[in-house]
Amino acid sequence: MLKSVSLDRWTPVFFLAPAIVLLLVFRYIPIVLGFEEALYTNSLSQAGARKFVGLSNFLAVFEDPVVWGSFKTTLIFSLVVNPLQVGLALLLAELVNVRVPGIAVFRAIYLIPIAISAPVTAIAWGLALDPNYGLVNGIFRTIGLPRQPFLQSPDQALWSIIGIISWIGVPYWSLFFLAGLQGISKDVLESAHVDGASNLRTFLSIKLPLLRRIIAFVLVSDTVVNFTLFAPVYLLTRGGPQLSTHLVMYEAYRRGLVYGDIGIASAIISVLLIVVIVVVVVEFIVLRPRH
Amino acid sequence: MKLDAATRARLRKARRQILLYALLIGLAIAVILPISWIIASSFTTRETVWKNALPFSWRAFFPEEFTLDGYRAIFEKDFGTALLNTFFLGAVTVVLGIAVGAMSGFAFARLNFRWKNFLFALVVFSFMIPGDLTIIPSFVLVRDLGWLNTWHGLIVPGLANGIVIFLFRQFFAEIPQDLIDAPRVDGATWLQVFIRIILPVSKPALISAGVILFLGQWNNFFWPLLVAPVPELRVVQVAVSIIGIEQNVNLWEQMFASSTLAMLVPVLLILPFQRYYVGGILGSGLKG
Repeated sequence: MLKSVSLDRWTPVFFLAPAIVLLLVFRYIPIVLGFEEALYTNSLSQAGARKFVGLSNFLAVFEDPVVWGSFKTTLIFSLVVNPLQVGLALLLAELVNVRVPGIAVFRAIYLIPIAISAPVTAIAWGLALDPNYGLVNGIFRTIGLPRQPFLQSPDQALWSIIGIISWIGVPYWSLFFLAGLQGISKDVLESAHVDGASNLRTFLSIKLPLLRRIIAFVLVSDTVVNFTLFAPVYLLTRGGPQLSTHLVMYEAYRRGLVYGDIGIASAIISVLLIVVIVVVVVEFIVLRPRH
Repeated sequence: MKLDAATRARLRKARRQILLYALLIGLAIAVILPISWIIASSFTTRETVWKNALPFSWRAFFPEEFTLDGYRAIFEKDFGTALLNTFFLGAVTVVLGIAVGAMSGFAFARLNFRWKNFLFALVVFSFMIPGDLTIIPSFVLVRDLGWLNTWHGLIVPGLANGIVIFLFRQFFAEIPQDLIDAPRVDGATWLQVFIRIILPVSKPALISAGVILFLGQWNNFFWPLLVAPVPELRVVQVAVSIIGIEQNVNLWEQMFASSTLAMLVPVLLILPFQRYYVGGILGSGLKG
């Protein structure tokens, strides 16, 4: 009996150790490491150049106009892309939450963009949005719209990137809303219908309030994910034209891995990380199921 | 002519149905159109690749002068190696990632131990912080371990996947207690219970986890771009991006061909397994 008790004590360790060790080493240590690296000046190209510099990398984040500009651009980008994706995803979910013949086929089609990676989506849409040859301008001409510069214009590039990533993001997040809508009890909707509420009315005053936990979850997750947007900027605009798409992750990559200044790159990431951790902890507390 | 109330209601319903289908079809076109254009253009010569895009013609969705030039060119550039590398990475990640995820999911669902809630919070918190956010310090860590340009540098950091652990925990928690109690009373160890009883009844969770892990590895871009720049370890997304960045030399037919292959694999995977994939990612958001 004693033997099996001591055996049972080690059982959880055996089952858990691989996952917990890997999570600690590759997910949690980098968070700490990132804050630590931000306190050093460090050049990848010069060996032995690592030097403790205190908070000066953080000061640089706020003082360097390009770095600080990337935060401002990211803020504007976030304020547009996240509400837009959440709103459209809600509408898409409501649209496909019907029982009509063929709806399964449509749902499967809308799932396709989710499987396609951000780099491939970016390259494909980059080709389609080409100002001189692209398919989109071709269609614009057919329906009588003027030719647009899209990614080559400082006024349109960020919007084009928002559109490109929403092609994946909207169907992805709509899956969560669809599941939420399907979880609403039929009785509630039935009684609203009997009371003569219109579809719009039912959506606004019954469905939306019932979905608020999922909406909050999706809004936070979407925001956090979009903070790390990198591939479309790297592949299509390199932050331009005129820094109009210069988002934080691209700036961190450029500083850290192109110019080899891991210190400032880590400081940039640390600032973003603090924001994300605060948001996620708040979400954790607010959305925690109450027993 | 006066219509009675029932006919009017039926007409209204029909009108709404037509509008609904118009919207559904419009959105389906917005998904399919760009994809079919990419695929059609991948079978076209460089000279005719833009011919039907601007000015636009419906022929843009069918190859003009069918050719395999684009595919031939990318395979001469070792795109085949990138495909094989990524399949290999995906397979290893699926097997090891399932092992790590299912074992810990089992412990969280079925075993009692100290700090259980705290450790599980570590798991949940880990998937709420996107990995790309800590990619630069992760790169520093992997570099200091001497893992740059190695297979394990590409595989090991992604093996413990919070969503996968979560998914297994949810699934294992639903398995009836009797199924576990009987062999335990007969003296089976927890490992035997896990392998002989739990895993065989968990096919849906295993498929969900497998699809999520494979897609994650297939579509991974930023991490392999940083930690494995050598051509021998190149993965699909990086290979596509390298061809894509060479835009200035106008390798359009190659961009279309490589994009086609890079998207075909995950699309063909997600369609038959959509129920499992969707179920897998939803669990993390709805029950957390």
